[in-house]
Amino acid sequence: MTTYKRVNQFTKVENRIVANRRCVFTAVSYLAVAILSVNTAFVRSVILGATASLIFFVINALFLAHALFRKEDDFFRLMFGVLLLIMLLGFVGWLIMIVYNLDALRFTLTLVIVASLSSSANIRTKYKNAT
Amino acid sequence: MSEIIYMCLTALSFYLLIMSRTGEARTVWQVLHPAFIPVLFVATFFLLAIMFSSEKTTNKMLFIIVYSIFIHSFFPIVFPAGDNSGQQMILGQIRRVFDNTIIHGLSGWPSQSLQIFLVEMFDGINLQAALSVIFARMLNVDIFYVHLFFVPVLWGVFIPIASFLTTKTLGGGEKASVLSSLLVSAFPYATYFGAISVPNSLGFIFFFYSLCFMLKYLASNDSKTAYLMVAFSLFSFLSHYLTGIMSFSFIFLAVVFKAYESEKRSPCVIPRASLIVSFFLCLSLLPMSFIYLRFVGSITPVFTIAKFQELPAEEIAGLLLVGELIYGFDLQTMLLVVIGPALGLLWMICLLYKLEKKPTAKFSTPILFLFAAFMVVLIDYRVLKLLMEGLPLNEERLWVFRDFIAVPFVALAICSAVSSVNKFLKARHPSAMFLTRLRNLSKRNVLYVLALLLTLNVLIPTVLAGWVTYSLRAAYPRIAPLQTTWYELEAVRHIEENTEEKYVVIGDVWTIFAGEVIVGIKNPRAYYFGEFNKTGYDLFLNMTQDPSPQWMLHAMNYTDTTTAYFIITEPRVGTEEYNRIVTEAGTRLPIYDVFGEGKLHIFYYTK
Repeated sequence: MTTYKRVNQFTKVENRIVANRRCVFTAVSYLAVAILSVNTAFVRSVILGATASLIFFVINALFLAHALFRKEDDFFRLMFGVLLLIMLLGFVGWLIMIVYNLDALRFTLTLVIVASLSSSANIRTKYKNAT
Repeated sequence: MSEIIYMCLTALSFYLLIMSRTGEARTVWQVLHPAFIPVLFVATFFLLAIMFSSEKTTNKMLFIIVYSIFIHSFFPIVFPAGDNSGQQMILGQIRRVFDNTIIHGLSGWPSQSLQIFLVEMFDGINLQAALSVIFARMLNVDIFYVHLFFVPVLWGVFIPIASFLTTKTLGGGEKASVLSSLLVSAFPYATYFGAISVPNSLGFIFFFYSLCFMLKYLASNDSKTAYLMVAFSLFSFLSHYLTGIMSFSFIFLAVVFKAYESEKRSPCVIPRASLIVSFFLCLSLLPMSFIYLRFVGSITPVFTIAKFQELPAEEIAGLLLVGELIYGFDLQTMLLVVIGPALGLLWMICLLYKLEKKPTAKFSTPILFLFAAFMVVLIDYRVLKLLMEGLPLNEERLWVFRDFIAVPFVALAICSAVSSVNKFLKARHPSAMFLTRLRNLSKRNVLYVLALLLTLNVLIPTVLAGWVTYSLRAAYPRIAPLQTTWYELEAVRHIEENTEEKYVVIGDVWTIFAGEVIVGIKNPRAYYFGEFNKTGYDLFLNMTQDPSPQWMLHAMNYTDTTTAYFIITEPRVGTEEYNRIVTEAGTRLPIYDVFGEGKLHIFYYTK
C-alpha cells in the first residue's frame, strides 16, 4: 500500500512537472542554473551545488523522458531521461569546449542550452499530443 | 525480511571496505578486511533471494544498482588515488580543462594539421573531460573526486538497466531480466572496465545501450528507436573509437538483418547471400579501421603472419582457443573469464536450434543477430591477436563486447533451468508444493522432493552468489605495482600549497602519476612532465646518477619556471639506491621536506 502510494505520488509529481503550466518548471530549471552559476563563481558550497543539480536533473530528465520514452515504465523512463540528459550535457559541453573552453561562464552557457533543449522537447511533445 | 538483511549486509560490506582503505598497497586483495568477501557473499545470496521473490521490479533494480555501484568502487574507496593506471593519466589531462589552462579541447589548437585536429577532436577523452568538468562544477567539488567515481557510478547505474532491457527485448521474463542485470557483474573484464574511469569504459556504457536499441529496432518499426540506436552509437564513438566502430558495424548488421527479416520467405537466394556478405563486411570493419589509423597518427598497425611463423603450434592453438589467458593466468581465473561467455554461447546455439524448427518465432531475428554479433567479436579478437601488429590497444578489450552479448543468454539459461526443475517438481509431485502433504509420499520420494527443493532454493542461489562474488577475484588484479601512496600525494599537495612561484618537479613516473591527479599534467604553473616524456625521464635519470643543481636548472630553463623540486621515493627505487641518492643529493641540494616517515625526500633549487 505504501509502495503504491509512493509510486502514485511519483507519477503525480512527474505529471505536474511535464505539464509545465505557464512554463513554471522551465523557470525553476533556469533558476537552478542561475544558482549553480553563482555557486561556482562565488559561494562554492557543495550542499547548494548538489541541491541545485538535483533539481536541474529531475526537471530536465523528466522533460526528456516525457518527450522520448513515454511508453516505458516509470522507473525506466526516469533512468532513460537521466541518461539522455547526461548525453546532452556531454555533447553540448564537448562542442563548447572544442569551440573555446569550459570555464565558469561557458559552463553556465552549457546548462542554459541543455535546459532550453529539454524544455522545448517537452513543450513540442505536449503540443503534438494535444493536437 | 530479506530486503532488510540485504541492506544491513551491504552496509556492513561498505563499512568493511572503508576499513580496508590504505595509503600504501599494491592490490585491493592485500588490504581487504578478512570478513569482507564472506559478508559480500551472504549479501549477494540475499540479493538473489530478493530477485527470485515477488518484490517489485523497481525495488529489485534499485537493490542491484546499489550493489553494482558498490562492487565497481573498490579502487577509489580502497586506494587514495584510485587504480594506478590509465585513469590517472586521463585525470591529469582532464584537469587542464578544469583549470582552464587549455583551449579547444585536449587536442589543442593549432594542431599539427587540420586533419589531425579533426581526428583528435573526436578522441574520447574530450567527451569525458566535458562531462567530468560539468559535474565537478555542478557539485562544486574537485575534479579528482568526480573523476574517480564517475565511471563506477555511471556503470553501476546504467549497465544493469541496459542488461535488463536487452534480456527483456529477447523475450526474457521479469526474473530472467533482473537476473541478467546482476549477472553482468559476474564477468570479470566487464567489472574491471566498470571500475576505472577511462573513455573506453564510458564508450562501453553507450555501446550496450546502442545494442539494446538495435534489438528494439529489429523488433519494431518505430523510427524513434532507429534514431536512438544511432544516437547511442554516435556517443559510443565520441567516447572511444573502439566502441564506436563496434557500434556502427553492429548497426550495419542490424539494418541488414531487418531487411532480411522482410525478405527471408522469398525463394530467392539473394537475401541470404547478402546477409553472409554483410557479415564478412562487418567482420572486416574493426581490423580495417586500425589500418586507416596509419593515415592520421603515428601508430602503424599492420596485418602480418609473423606470429604464425614465430610462435610454437601449441601457443597458437592456445591463443585461438582462450586468447591472452594462456599467459600465466591460473586455472581459476581462466575459468571465471571463460565460463560466462561459454554458457551464453551454448544457450544461444540451443535457442537457435529450437528456432530452426519454428522459424517464424517472434524473437528469432534478434537472437540470430546477437549470435552473428557474438561471432564477429570472437573472430575479430583472433584476427587482432594473431594477424595484426602495432595496435594502439590490447585486444582483450573486445571481451567486454562479448560479455555484454553473453549476459542475457546466461540469465535466460539459468532461468530456464530453474523453471524446468520447478515444472518437473510440480508435474511429478504436486504435493511437494505443500510441505504438510509430504508425509503422504514414500520416504524415497520425500528425499527426492527435498533434494529438488534444496537445489531450487539453496543450491542455485548459493552457486550464483558464489560465482558473482568469486569473479571479483579475476576482475580486480592480484599482481600490480605499488599504487600511488599517501605520502606521494601529500608531497605533491604540500609543494602545491606552499609554492607561490612557477615550479617544475623532477620525479619518476609514479611521482608524475601523483602530480597528475593533484595538479594535472603540463600545468605551466606547476609543471610535471608527461609519463612518456623523454626529457622528463632523462632528467630524472640524470638526477639519480648525479643529483646536482645543473639538471634542476636545465629543467627550470626548459619549462620557464623559477623553482625546481626533485622527489625520490624509497619503495620505487629500492632502499640501497634510495639511501645513496638521498646522501649524495643531501650534500649538494637543500632538503625541502620529508614524508612517509623518511620514505620520500623532496629536494629543491631556485634560480
